[in-house]
Amino acid sequence: MSAEIVGGAAVAPPTTMTIGRGARLRQLAPFLPAGVILIGLFFAPLALMLVFSFWQTNEKLDIVATWSLQNYANFFDNPTYVRTLAKTIIIGAGATVACLLMAFAIAYFLARYVPRRWATIALLAIVVPFWTSYLLRVYSWQAILGEFGAINQVLMGLGLISEPSRLFVYNDASTFIVLVYVYLPFAALALYASLERFDFTQLTAAQDLGARPDQAFRHILLPQIRPGIITACIFVFIPILGEFLTPIMVGGANGLLIANLVSNFFRNALIPEGAAVAFMIAALVTLLLIVFRRYLQIEDVVARG
Amino acid sequence: MANRVDPLETMPVSRYARSVSRGLRLWFGLMMVFLYVPILFMIVFSFDESRTPGLPITGFTLKWYEVMLGNRVLLRALGNSLTVAAIVAVLATTIGTMAAFVLVRGGIRRRNAARIVFTMPIMVPGVLIGVALLIYFARVLHMPLSLVTVVAGHLTFTVPFVVLIVAARLQGFDRALEWAAADLGASPRRAIRHIVLPLIAPAILAGALISVTLSIDEFVITWFTVGAQATLPTYIYTQIKFGVTPEVNAVATVLLGVTLAFLGVAALILSRGRALSGRLRRRRPTA
Repeated sequence: MSAEIVGGAAVAPPTTMTIGRGARLRQLAPFLPAGVILIGLFFAPLALMLVFSFWQTNEKLDIVATWSLQNYANFFDNPTYVRTLAKTIIIGAGATVACLLMAFAIAYFLARYVPRRWATIALLAIVVPFWTSYLLRVYSWQAILGEFGAINQVLMGLGLISEPSRLFVYNDASTFIVLVYVYLPFAALALYASLERFDFTQLTAAQDLGARPDQAFRHILLPQIRPGIITACIFVFIPILGEFLTPIMVGGANGLLIANLVSNFFRNALIPEGAAVAFMIAALVTLLLIVFRRYLQIEDVVARG
Repeated sequence: MANRVDPLETMPVSRYARSVSRGLRLWFGLMMVFLYVPILFMIVFSFDESRTPGLPITGFTLKWYEVMLGNRVLLRALGNSLTVAAIVAVLATTIGTMAAFVLVRGGIRRRNAARIVFTMPIMVPGVLIGVALLIYFARVLHMPLSLVTVVAGHLTFTVPFVVLIVAARLQGFDRALEWAAADLGASPRRAIRHIVLPLIAPAILAGALISVTLSIDEFVITWFTVGAQATLPTYIYTQIKFGVTPEVNAVATVLLGVTLAFLGVAALILSRGRALSGRLRRRRPTA
């Protein structure tokens, strides 16, 4: 789909120079391997997943190519599935808001009160956990929330409880905490990048002209850092839509999110059913990316490593 | 650009300003604790004697590191991970750099659309890429799942990373340097070889190191595309699912150290490169 735009545009001659079609193709040739990977290993598999989502599984778990919207209809007919989807969106939105608020305070502090040199170092310290293994970062929370984890041991040490409690792990709250933990660095990076470009004397100017601090904040600061806010939201919310490890590791028996549903369908060889759910997530992700493309500053988050 | 003088020093401010700044400082400290405590616990537990890692620490030991080094399956998984990462890094860096040149200099219109296209594999959650590739390999291409499919899976997101990093660097490249080389008689090929490549080398190298790091750590896509041979993350995952094994903490600690070393080198190279091209730019008489 969008890949064709690149291909299509590529044929057009550049700027004012007139060069032969052969030369133009030669110029574009180095793009070919990346194009093959992008189309062959990303867009084609996703498109085929869409095709499979319209097919069915029979009793022998064979895939039959009969076209229908049955898999999608079944999904929305099953209250458990719909509840899982709703829960994913609610937890995702909640974690996004939490990350945004927590990260904003960090980024604001670093951008306004800390000399740039130190702010850069502090930012690096925030990013480091994000570059370490995602699997291990999630796993490491068991050492804190788990049955033998720090919280239980401290509470037992204080004599508040007599045996390890499972209260702190395997529920939605622990999933939420770990999700915030995992995605907080993204939000901090995105917000810092836009706050860094903000001239804070504008806030003083606004107040000189009679604005209350909250008015200055709302009408001067917020509009200028909107791209950073949107980037932060996207970088937290979208990954949570596809989050299946955290619920397995620290979530409860009922704590599954939508991506776990996909993975479970696939484990049970119900490929078309899984593909339908996966495609719905993919469509939502694509929609968000396209709607917010103008604001999305991926380089701020990615190229800073 | 914001001036970083503490506003409290220079202007009359509300009486809350000082406590706001103090509160923010405290918050920053708390957040650092939040980010680092789980990692610290993991490291501490890797040296703990007890079979069930937890507080209180029963005693210092290197036992788990020894167990780790004696674990054949684990070492083989590590070997697989390193092999995959090396292949991925070489391929992704070459392919991504080539594409970045075309993207920045090929006169591609609708560059924003192209950027979205390269952003998508990074942004789309790994589960989706993983299951899509699983269907693709197993049901469409009828390819047996193996380390080859894992490499293919890792290329989907490492190539875009390299493209974005190298393209960002090329965008800021001062083409006057290349024109100077052409004036002095260098062919375009020579100018690229001797002027452009050395100057963007830091970005290319950083892209390679980031590819290695991402590939070694990648779990989700790997989980869906891996065959019988485990990689380190998939091995660790199965271990964790079977129950707490203290050597996992040791593996995690080593992995953390290696990742940090790699990233440190990448960051150093990138900042060196920035300083270098900055110097070159400054040396040029301003027009």
